Amino acid sequence: MLAVHGFNRRMLFSNLEVAVMGRSAVRLWLAFGTLLSALAGSPASAQQAAVVGRVTDALTGQAVAEVQISIVGTNQSALSTSEGRFIIRGVIPGAVSVRATRLGYGEETREVSVVDGQTTVVDFSLSPVPLALTGMVITATGEKRKVEVGNAVTKIEAAGVVQTRAISQIGDLLTARAPGVFVSPPVQTGAGIRIRIRGTSSLSLTNNPIYIIDGVRVEGTTGSSSVSVGGTTPSRVGDLNPEEIESMEVIRGPSAATLYGTDAANGVIVITTKRGISGRPQWTYYTEQTAIQDRNDYPTAYRGWRTGPTSGTTSTRSNTVQCFLSQAAAGTCMQDSVTSYNLVDDPESTPFGTGYRQQHGLQVRGGTETIRYFLHGEWEDEDGVTKVPEFEKKYLAARGRSLTSDQENPGRLKKATARANLNIALSDEMDLAINSGYISQDLRLPRSDDSGTAGIGANIFGGPGFKYNMNAAGDTLYGWREFTPRGIYQTETLQSIERFIQSISGDWRPEPWLALRGNFGLDYITRLDSQICRFGDCVLTNDKLGFKRDNRTNFYLYTLDLGATATRRINDETEAQTSVGVQYYRNIFDANYTLGSSLPPGAVSVSDAAVKNADESTNESRTLGAYIEQRVAFRDRLFLTAAVRSDRNSAFGADFKTVFYPKFSASWVLSDEPFFPTPDWMNQFRFRTAYGASGVQPGTTDAVQYYTTTQVVGESGEQTGLIFSTLGNANLKPERSSELEVGFDATLFDNRFSAEVTYYTKSSKDALVSRILPPSLGTGATARFENLGEVSNKGWEMLFDAQILRGGLEWSATLNASTNENELVSLGGLPNIVSSSTLQQREGYPLNGWWQRRLLGYEDKDGNGIITYNADPTKSEIMVSDTAEFHGRSAPKWEIALTNGFAMFNGQLRLDGMIDYKGGHLVYNNTERIRCASRFNCSGLINPESSLFEQARTVMVREHPSRSTAGFFEEGDFIRFRELSVTATPPSGFAGGIMGGRTLTITAAARNLGILWTKYTGLDPEAFGTTGDAPSSFQPFGPPTYYTLRLSVGF
Amino acid sequence: MTTYRKGRATFTVSLAIAGGLMLFPTGCSPDRILDVEDPDIINPSNVQSPAGAEAVRLGALSRFNGATSGDESLFLLGGLFSDEWINGDSFIARQEIDQRTITIENTFLTNANRQLHRTRLAAQQAVALLREYSPTSPGWHVGEMLMVQAYVINLMAEHLCDGLIISNVVDGREEYGDPITTQAAFEMALGLANEGLTSITGTTANDVRVRNALALTKGRILLNLNRHAEAATAVAGIPTNYQYVHYDSQTTWSNSFWTWNKNSRRYSVSDKEGTNGLDFASAKDPRVPVCAGNDAACKTIGVTNSVRDDLTGPFMVLMTWPNREDPIAIMQGVDARMIEAEAQLKAGQAASALATLNAARATKSGLAPLADAGTADARLKQLFRERAFWQYSRGYRTGDLRRLIRQYGQSQATVFPTGAWHKGGNYGTDVDMPVPQAEQNNPKLGITLQTCMSRGA
Repeated sequence: MLAVHGFNRRMLFSNLEVAVMGRSAVRLWLAFGTLLSALAGSPASAQQAAVVGRVTDALTGQAVAEVQISIVGTNQSALSTSEGRFIIRGVIPGAVSVRATRLGYGEETREVSVVDGQTTVVDFSLSPVPLALTGMVITATGEKRKVEVGNAVTKIEAAGVVQTRAISQIGDLLTARAPGVFVSPPVQTGAGIRIRIRGTSSLSLTNNPIYIIDGVRVEGTTGSSSVSVGGTTPSRVGDLNPEEIESMEVIRGPSAATLYGTDAANGVIVITTKRGISGRPQWTYYTEQTAIQDRNDYPTAYRGWRTGPTSGTTSTRSNTVQCFLSQAAAGTCMQDSVTSYNLVDDPESTPFGTGYRQQHGLQVRGGTETIRYFLHGEWEDEDGVTKVPEFEKKYLAARGRSLTSDQENPGRLKKATARANLNIALSDEMDLAINSGYISQDLRLPRSDDSGTAGIGANIFGGPGFKYNMNAAGDTLYGWREFTPRGIYQTETLQSIERFIQSISGDWRPEPWLALRGNFGLDYITRLDSQICRFGDCVLTNDKLGFKRDNRTNFYLYTLDLGATATRRINDETEAQTSVGVQYYRNIFDANYTLGSSLPPGAVSVSDAAVKNADESTNESRTLGAYIEQRVAFRDRLFLTAAVRSDRNSAFGADFKTVFYPKFSASWVLSDEPFFPTPDWMNQFRFRTAYGASGVQPGTTDAVQYYTTTQVVGESGEQTGLIFSTLGNANLKPERSSELEVGFDATLFDNRFSAEVTYYTKSSKDALVSRILPPSLGTGATARFENLGEVSNKGWEMLFDAQILRGGLEWSATLNASTNENELVSLGGLPNIVSSSTLQQREGYPLNGWWQRRLLGYEDKDGNGIITYNADPTKSEIMVSDTAEFHGRSAPKWEIALTNGFAMFNGQLRLDGMIDYKGGHLVYNNTERIRCASRFNCSGLINPESSLFEQARTVMVREHPSRSTAGFFEEGDFIRFRELSVTATPPSGFAGGIMGGRTLTITAAARNLGILWTKYTGLDPEAFGTTGDAPSSFQPFGPPTYYTLRLSVGF
Repeated sequence: MTTYRKGRATFTVSLAIAGGLMLFPTGCSPDRILDVEDPDIINPSNVQSPAGAEAVRLGALSRFNGATSGDESLFLLGGLFSDEWINGDSFIARQEIDQRTITIENTFLTNANRQLHRTRLAAQQAVALLREYSPTSPGWHVGEMLMVQAYVINLMAEHLCDGLIISNVVDGREEYGDPITTQAAFEMALGLANEGLTSITGTTANDVRVRNALALTKGRILLNLNRHAEAATAVAGIPTNYQYVHYDSQTTWSNSFWTWNKNSRRYSVSDKEGTNGLDFASAKDPRVPVCAGNDAACKTIGVTNSVRDDLTGPFMVLMTWPNREDPIAIMQGVDARMIEAEAQLKAGQAASALATLNAARATKSGLAPLADAGTADARLKQLFRERAFWQYSRGYRTGDLRRLIRQYGQSQATVFPTGAWHKGGNYGTDVDMPVPQAEQNNPKLGITLQTCMSRGA
């Protein structure tokens, strides 16, 4: 039995039996007790007073809402109402500092004397500051002033961006707005996004960041579907509605994310939804009307026609007989002619038309000092660009047939969202927040990308190079390869989502120096993936009898987060703050899969199928963590933080129990120091540095050895057997990433220029390598996770803002840039990992690098304009390396985004535009590879006018024994015109006079206006699926352009 | 005083809560909080019983199906490598096997290897469990598991290069094997077959079925070891109508020829492939019934597509097992006759060999008796042609072509497809398949990471 000491007066736990406690927890608890004792001094007396006041804009005199007013050295704070008023009760009498902080205004601190039992009035008149190091950010231990945090935290003021840009989903909010955050945008309606923060850290585990909404962990996986439609699948973060978001904070790496615990090594995206504000109800109705177009250049198909002595050697409209360049050069055939055809450019054949999106939303926010509320509801309908081509409509009409509405619009999203947020002040010391979000959506996805021969991609990219090709039945295919939409669209894929994100959190400040908080939440998702092809409708032979998939999955993510913060002003210059907390996460994935094959005519249910299959899958992961953090502030200019977190997880190996993650950070506002040579043009300069560690946990069953079931058919029917599946790894522990970042923030020239520069170096040790197991071992699993490797990511992140006023014109510019050097430092003695025929993992090279035998050179030795291969090196016109070589990274190395905005007429008219650059990487143009190697319709194979390089890479993949695809690794650098918007905000009198409203905002915006420059010859360097870390561009759709008109009226 | 007491009480409660927060993860027993049971998995302790041993035995049989006729195994890949099938799709990994220019990274070959080793391990585990937990189970249970091991090791040795590796999992821990020669692999397989034969003493139908399979496997191994007379002796008692069958269904394993040939059109029956190939598609031999997509015969089995997946024609479809659930006899009594005929020919008994071949042909309607081919070379060619048609796509052909080189002194250029490859370029010179690159993760390979000790027939 252990007695816990350290609470001299209050031996609350003196006899507490803590034998069950782990040694580390005892130490932690003792430390916390000591700290609290040291900080607390004597208990608070009954002597208390109140501080009230009003906050106004120093220039306009108007009230400023949502200003954070706090009593320095305590946990007491309040937000100003829409009238600018605030009240803080329970203030300890004496000399206190009252601080007012709000983004966009200079921070002010007032020293006042508070008298026992009286109300002290403190009014603030805040001066607008275009760019300042002020504002609040959310940390794992609660809301903090940005200046106190030793990390670079990018905060995206989502509400403002949504109002003035063509934001249709959350990926649009993140793209090119935060340095070091790489977003793969979706390429079709409802498709998901893939986000990487500060590079790719994990060799084998997820590289997705985690998402937290109002303090609750939420599901954000990519590729969230159990039914394949090709490469482009939804991601659950795409469910979230940008209209409900107040702000998003990107916490970029372990140095900042330590206290978020295991899983946070890839960064954390903290989302805060909108809140109510004290004052009369403010209603806002908004609508968006959007036209969507696919303006991409799809590749042209070629056909080399020939005439031979037999029907088998003569090209016809219904066969695939051709004469390729190399065959012509060899004299085995002669090209009669070469035709080309691009079906996407032909209005009669193209599957792409103008899509339409409409959105209507209504929200209201208001409340009193006691209860504030935010209510929101929205309905959205996006009908994507995938349509039925004209030739198909004619074909069907001529035969009196038709497609269903769902088949005619195979890419469509219908979505309804609702949110109710309540903030209740139960007493002066206690607040309660209840946040409830609901999402309901039906998403139909066409079969794109790698969706097999029955997919749209295979048929539009694989066409024959002329329009009137025919199949065996005599049907004209209008340049489609084998199947046309009347057949392809018969396979209907639907994903239905019902999602509830709920959280309830409470804050209790029993003493001015002590704040306790608790947060419980659940993200519950029920997902139905269904796919049906009715009897007789499917294009593939095996599917002719029809099939139906019906897969139902439930996701439960529970969060329990309890914490306490003790704050004490040690003396006039020093403030100390201690935080402790416990977090418990429970993540359940519970799925049932059914497949029914051989449906009778008219049947649409698995129950009706002649052959039925059923599967069940369950995964559960639990994490229990605790942390303690100590912050010390000196003279409100030097802020030091030290913390440690420990985690235990159900997925750790049996021989591994607890992981500890340390954290240290420093933030120093040097410009406030007398010794610092602050020039006149410099307003603020802050140096910051942080070191921290975090991890990524293995999968739920990665550590254990087990068997799985299988079926065997004998003469007596089907029986169930058991097969050895995996070896497991009793020593498995989380992948641990540690990171050091150093940087500075500065505001210059009357706060009209700001700079944020950060260098980071991140190392993921004990990297979980999915070690390939030798086939000879005979295990079911092909790999086993082992903590072997080390991955390093280093880079710079820069964010420059400028605001310049010239007369009535205001010009604002934001340059956001980042670099990333990624290297697989060690594989722990394992041989190279060949992930695929094009991707390898080798020490000293980036993760997921492109590897293949290199095209060393090509030369038209015989001068006939055609590149050919010959086994005799002296005659061969291509030279290929003997072994695989590294060609380049698969992820961008550099990213730059430049945003320019012009505001005129006192800000009533605003023009904003963004261009961004990504580069330093290669994109595998796998579409062109299959066109040359297998579809036989690429220029390099057929077109005598194709470049020698195009021919050489084709010959290499088709005829050289290496069959190397390296010629299709292309530079992926590009500059994209990402967004352009014009926003008009008429004077309030106009809104009131014309519309009867309070405010009126009209925005015209376009998103993804096109590629301004690239060397990539494929469809689009961002056009590929959303799942893997090195996706190849394989028969994808291109990202569409959105033209949006938005109207927002406030009442 | 009242307010002071309130303040102290508040402080006390606050402290209690704060302390409770810290106690929470430990006082509530983290092990219990974090204990998760996954219903999708079976713990190793669950197989340590008679019923568990039986379930593992059935699992091994399931593996065996997947490693042979139920998936894209060496039955298909070996046929692609030799002259039984040609590639009909866009996958480079299949194309390089068809073209005989296989890279060690070949994913299809890797998968096929894994399936075979999984089968071997599963059968090995089943033997151990049956002997420990179900010692009274019928002898053919253990015998069949030993046959399975012998069969797959032999099949791998017939296809792969010198340097086959046999690793194991013992008591849940991996034990890596060293590379062994092809000869040693055949010897290992032979030992397992002999052990299996001694384990069966009964006379039930299952005893006979498994004993015949063991004998047939033994004969095949001995043939590979160039011990023809012993091979003939081993298979002597097997009736010609004997079959060792893998059953398929709509919901478990699919007949792989239906999957990859008829259904997905990624394989097409070849015809005189690369000069040396046999005329499987055009011979109109009832042992290898073939139709062209969309012709009258193909329409009877529902194939109306005239082109392969790569849209190139003709699309030649094997009609032997046209349905997904068709059972496939991977071992047949006629295989014993082929062994006997080869042994007779090898012994200089040409007439006996011809009689044996014709006796076998007599069991199949539509096959006329063969005439003496006249010369030793022609007789050999005749014998191997008979073997090729009787054993079409059952995993024999690559081994036969290699034996023609190894045992009969022929060159690769005269037995394997050669010359211009049908999709451009030329055939390579591979006569074996490499041990896959994934095997480089075996620490026993040493620093050279050489996956083949040597290449050749």
